[in-house]
Amino acid sequence: MTALQRASILAVLLVALTIGRAGAHHAFSAVYDDKQTITVEGVVTQFKFVNPHAIMSMDVTDKSGKVVTWTVEFAGRLNLAEGGWTADTIKPGERVKVSGNPARQNDHQMSFGRIVRADGTELVPVGKKREDAIEAERRERARQRSQGTQGTQPPK
Amino acid sequence: MIQKCVSGLLLLVLAACSSSPPAPKTTAPKQIEGMWSDDPTAVGMLCFFTCTEVAIARLNALLDDPANDARPFPQLRAEADRFARDTYIRPRLTDARLKSYPLDPADDPGLLRCEPWGVARQMFSPHQLEIRRLGEDRVQLRYGEWDARRTVYMDGRRGPEREPPGAMGFSVGHWEGETLVIETSNIAANLTPWRFEHSDQLRTEERFTRADDGTTLWLTATFTDPGSLKEPLVIKKVWKWAPESHITPYEDCQRASGVTKGVSQP
Repeated sequence: MTALQRASILAVLLVALTIGRAGAHHAFSAVYDDKQTITVEGVVTQFKFVNPHAIMSMDVTDKSGKVVTWTVEFAGRLNLAEGGWTADTIKPGERVKVSGNPARQNDHQMSFGRIVRADGTELVPVGKKREDAIEAERRERARQRSQGTQGTQPPK
Repeated sequence: MIQKCVSGLLLLVLAACSSSPPAPKTTAPKQIEGMWSDDPTAVGMLCFFTCTEVAIARLNALLDDPANDARPFPQLRAEADRFARDTYIRPRLTDARLKSYPLDPADDPGLLRCEPWGVARQMFSPHQLEIRRLGEDRVQLRYGEWDARRTVYMDGRRGPEREPPGAMGFSVGHWEGETLVIETSNIAANLTPWRFEHSDQLRTEERFTRADDGTTLWLTATFTDPGSLKEPLVIKKVWKWAPESHITPYEDCQRASGVTKGVSQP
């Protein structure tokens, strides 16, 4: 089974995982189940770089060989552009593996948590990158504290 | 003769001073004008939408405690938020509001019907805030979220007395040193960012102050609303200087489908 033919949907229970809660201020949890993460693999057919939420459509081939269209919802262009995204960041025809929260009611719809491209490079939400930077500062501060040195200023 | 001339001159100066218009109060410090956007620091992430002094103090205490080093930042942020909600916001709500607090976000008209926010939420909206003077008598606040605009009148005019309340209310402003102070009234009842509804008696005072580092803009907003609050609520928000940032059109709002009620945590 090739990557393209495989629709690998892996549901993992995660508690309070925040991976790019697209539209967290738009009642995210009323639409997406933020306690589950799924991964879907397919080929991008469209990427709409718009506000309030960017939208990607992708063709995913399920186990029976049937091609199903999935919709992936991102934060809006206002937010993505702050992380350097453009309308060409994701191109039709690209093969991608997308992880995110599944929609509570709509089949074949999910939020964007992470995208892994065919060449292994990754795209993550802008908020996740900011959180990663804060965590790096915290680790450095903890390391300095454990060594008994005067740490850097806390990440405030 | 000389005494008469001096006295006459003094009288002329006094007369000129008393009849001239007051010194303009609309001179905006350039440092506040321009584009601001999300602050990527820990406190900035806490205040992505709104925050309080209580939440900021709680987050800083959690970050300072080595016992929390292994806990992920989102968990600490959520704890600080929860603490502020329980100890600061909830005790200030009227009994009537407490009965329906917190409202289910699945009922949010912004989500269900793409209805733009009222001023109580818009003033704290994430992403860009652009502050520009419009002539000598107005300041415009333009927000990335919803591409919303607010006009603030700086010429001392009074608000409309017979106009029906509107979503953005009526805003007048003035400068106190380098602080931009905006008072808003005539606001139609709508949702707050804290999941309760304010009444049309809401009045807000926003104070925009640039921090000493020059690249941080703080908003301290005081909400007074006999219809929903027992005492004033003071809310904060922070932006970073972002001259490269742009506000892009808000043109593709899709009504949410598949909304589930009762699943959001209080």
